[in-house]
Amino acid sequence: MANKQIRRKRGAVAEAKAAAAKLTPRDKKTMGSIVGLADGVVSAAEKRKDPFVDIPSRTLANVRYSPRKRIIEMGNSTNRRQLFDLSQAKAYMQTMLVASGCKRLLNQGKTTSLRGLFYMLKHTIDGTKENTFDDQDQCDPVIEDIEVLLNTLREELHLYASNRGTLVGPITLVDSGDTIDCSRMGSGGYNIPSIVEPDVMQFVKCDAKFILHVEKDTVWRRFNEDKFWRKHNCLLTHGMGQPPRGVRRLLNRLHNELQLPIYCLLDNDPWGYYIYSVIKQGSINLAFESQRMAIPDVRYLGLRSKDFERCQLSDGVKIALNETDRKRAKQIAGYPWFAKKRDWQREIEKMLKNDFKLEVESLISKDISYVTEEYVPARLADQDWLD
Amino acid sequence: MAVKRSKKVRNRASQTRTRKGPARARRATRADVEPSKNGDAVAESAESVDGAGDVESNGAVAAAPRRRATAQSMAAKQRDISVSEFFAKNRHLLGFDNPRKALLTTVKEAVDNSLDACEEAGILPEIWVHIEATGNDRYKVGVQDNGPGILKKQIPLIFGKLLYGSKFHRLRQSRGQQGIGISAAGMYGVQTTGKPVKILSKVSIKKPAHYYEIQIDTKKNQPQILNGRGEGVDIPPSQKGKEYVEKHGIEWVHQPHGTRVTIELQAKFVRGRGSVDEYLEQTAIANPHVALHYVDPDGNPRDYPRSADRLPEEPKEIKPHPYGVELGRLITLLHDAPNSTVAQFLTTTFSRVTSHVARKICNTAKISTRASTRRIGRKEADSLYQAIQATKISSPATDCISPIGEELILKGLHHVVPGEFYAAATRPPAVYRGNPFQIEVGIAYGGQAAMQYVTKELLRELIEETDARTIRQFFIHTFNGLGNEAADRIIKESQLATRQSPSSLKPKEIERLLTAMKDVNVSEGQTMEVLRYANRVPLQFSPASCAITQSVIGTNWRSYHLSQSRGALPKGPVTVMVHVASVWVPFTSESKEAIASYPEIQKELRLALQAVGRKLGMYVRRRRKVKQQSDRRQVFLRYLGEVATAVSDINGRDRAALYDQLISVAKKRTADADVKLDDRGRPIEDADLELGENVLIVDPMEAPATINRAPAAVEETE
Repeated sequence: MANKQIRRKRGAVAEAKAAAAKLTPRDKKTMGSIVGLADGVVSAAEKRKDPFVDIPSRTLANVRYSPRKRIIEMGNSTNRRQLFDLSQAKAYMQTMLVASGCKRLLNQGKTTSLRGLFYMLKHTIDGTKENTFDDQDQCDPVIEDIEVLLNTLREELHLYASNRGTLVGPITLVDSGDTIDCSRMGSGGYNIPSIVEPDVMQFVKCDAKFILHVEKDTVWRRFNEDKFWRKHNCLLTHGMGQPPRGVRRLLNRLHNELQLPIYCLLDNDPWGYYIYSVIKQGSINLAFESQRMAIPDVRYLGLRSKDFERCQLSDGVKIALNETDRKRAKQIAGYPWFAKKRDWQREIEKMLKNDFKLEVESLISKDISYVTEEYVPARLADQDWLD
Repeated sequence: MAVKRSKKVRNRASQTRTRKGPARARRATRADVEPSKNGDAVAESAESVDGAGDVESNGAVAAAPRRRATAQSMAAKQRDISVSEFFAKNRHLLGFDNPRKALLTTVKEAVDNSLDACEEAGILPEIWVHIEATGNDRYKVGVQDNGPGILKKQIPLIFGKLLYGSKFHRLRQSRGQQGIGISAAGMYGVQTTGKPVKILSKVSIKKPAHYYEIQIDTKKNQPQILNGRGEGVDIPPSQKGKEYVEKHGIEWVHQPHGTRVTIELQAKFVRGRGSVDEYLEQTAIANPHVALHYVDPDGNPRDYPRSADRLPEEPKEIKPHPYGVELGRLITLLHDAPNSTVAQFLTTTFSRVTSHVARKICNTAKISTRASTRRIGRKEADSLYQAIQATKISSPATDCISPIGEELILKGLHHVVPGEFYAAATRPPAVYRGNPFQIEVGIAYGGQAAMQYVTKELLRELIEETDARTIRQFFIHTFNGLGNEAADRIIKESQLATRQSPSSLKPKEIERLLTAMKDVNVSEGQTMEVLRYANRVPLQFSPASCAITQSVIGTNWRSYHLSQSRGALPKGPVTVMVHVASVWVPFTSESKEAIASYPEIQKELRLALQAVGRKLGMYVRRRRKVKQQSDRRQVFLRYLGEVATAVSDINGRDRAALYDQLISVAKKRTADADVKLDDRGRPIEDADLELGENVLIVDPMEAPATINRAPAAVEETE
């Protein structure tokens, strides 16, 4: 107990020292909204009212597809989170904790990972055996809540996600002041950071004509080893499955600033479809960021449901659909941004009729470099893709 | 459908038949085989018993059966059986089936007699019960009262003659009925140990006390006085008398008047169900006007102080109601009243028979109202009996019953059974078979809650005081109402060894024990305890065949928020006491262990149980609601500190002020936890008003019976 108090005091001293860190104008704006949040609690308490926060809800019900902008936008509905509600009391407490953690980061002028913030805030509640957060899965959604609540971006809260996703190709960029030539990255490629905003990353020179985004690391390595990007003069990226925000933001910037068309090579299953949908229209969860993340012009190159016959694959590569897959596929087919595209409806129908899914790796069964030497070049040449 | 089912039934029937078939066959063959196997031996032994003289005739078994005895020789053996001989042989009929029960029955008969005597005399009873082990499975039981005492010439008859007493011939609510009990106990003692029954009785402070040592002559059913050359001893009331008492080792607690009986008998002392301890405790509940001083064979004294200073109403003696009289009894009664007319006979012998009713009965029976009772033969008596049953006669007066009363039930229960909620209900009197009776029910709820409030200091003190050998024993003996199962769960939770001695506990282990006591839900898996009484006497045996238990099980306790499986007693920390008071309690057997299920009695039982059940239900529901609210508050309070810290970290406001403000909001939000609500959730000013009268709600820690303090301190003074 006493120890904890001392620790807390020490923390306060460190804060006082770090408070000297200079706030950028953006930080000042963020700080203002955090303090506003705290002031709301104080004024509610002074009036003997229940403190609450209205968090824009991040559900399918609260997103709207804008056919004009061709992106998912967040609606106006909010979820009220009250301190004096049995089921929400803990979440409310966590929300305030995350806010105070971000405030400390801003004050000290430092950034930390999501996991770092989780450890910063995790402790035992006084007089109980309960933790403020039990694991990171409890912390991450609360951070997203704070983002939407304060209408700030994660970067503005001085938080970043772990790096996931790689880039290679004829482009030179500056990342935190270091100039990097992405065509000379060896076999590993350039690790796409979580924060790729213009103040951190600038593009110097780019010779690429388009971007090929693949789903996973294995496929990306195949393309890199075969120097597909050199042959076809393109950028090659992957996002380890569902691409993190850094990758999506970078793709968005490359597309918008350098006018590079983007083609996706993803698995032929509901998850592949959804990755495509997220890159194209934005995700339901982060609909508030669609504006700077979504790339409505992205194209779906493959794999297609018809590829089993078209490429004459062997039976061994089929993976049977399970119940969740079927349900998910139908759900995706019902999304408004897919509903009116007949090609997509046919595509999903065909997969359901096949009753199996195909991974990109299945093409390796034909030949180890079939995908890089025949499949993708042929699709590109035929302009055979889905929009 | 119907066809199908009948087919199925037939199938099943045939199945059982086939299943039974071979078994029966097997049994039959075994029966066939066995006699043939040792048939010779059986025949031989049979012969050696009845045909002592003629060994030679053994060979001629196949010949015509020989008369073994003649009518004459048999007549020589036919004679009177004395009551005492009969009961000496059949002592199980009186509750002396085994040594354990013998001890209980002896104490019970003596205490019941004492209570009846005190109450009849109008004295507030004070009873001393001493049980002392004398070795060889023998115990000396001494029971003394402060009653009116017994006249010198009556003492030997009361204690040394079976079926001698004042209570058999009258219709009046009393504990004893037949006049067998105490003399049978004395007889059992003499038979098993050879020691006489010792009686000391004193009528007043000025008169001499009479001291007798008696044993019963079972052949004649007559007392034999052993001391004072067959005359007993008179002890003068002076100092000299006191010295005499002390010199001769006569046990006597000095009192101006009263009686003490000491019986030594072969017995077994046990604790728990069906024990003397249990009997005395239950007696204390139903008789709050009694002060009991009890010393068990281990020398531990236990006192049940009086919780009411008023004697119960004196029950009135009533005349029998005509509906309750059988033909045989009617004939006897007619015979006993030779010099009156039938109409006179009816009006004077029975209650509720006016001359108008008597005339009606006579008309129906076609007998003249003026006919002499001497003229009434068996046939006329029968038609008179039929006429009585056919005539409408109002129910007997019910003021002859003296119930315990709701207030005293509450007091008694609260004194002995730990709990936080008590309720009682007394039904108006009712009638079965012409006998008035009355049902009373009391309920105690929430016994073990006290476990949860024990402080560390108190626990340490209790552990120091106890002389229990294991922790398990310590728990069971210290905390009333805590069962074996619950004690085991606490010990398991605290990770201590079951057989560990409480004195060797380390401070850390005591702490673990304390947390376990708080965490374990001891009321889980506990079933309702049912205390049964007939005329204030606890019934400790044969619960299953008793109308009371059946009614308790038959009541739907689920609607009163107790969990209950079908056909079982409800679960939870609940004790129910049920008292059946009547001028004649219908026992199922002579041993007075269970009450017969007359529909009238069952109905009254049900209504009384429902009355207390409703009150309990309201209490439990409210308590649950309040508890939910306070749980809610706990959840909020847990997080408020964190919220206040985070907010003051952000905007630099005063954390303490904010925290206090948040706390006050939390209190406002969960204000229900402080407000007593009625069953519709509206706040009310006085909760007790809503529950009606005769409800007692206490802080469980203040219930006197919650924790048994070890008697260490008392022992020192003795």
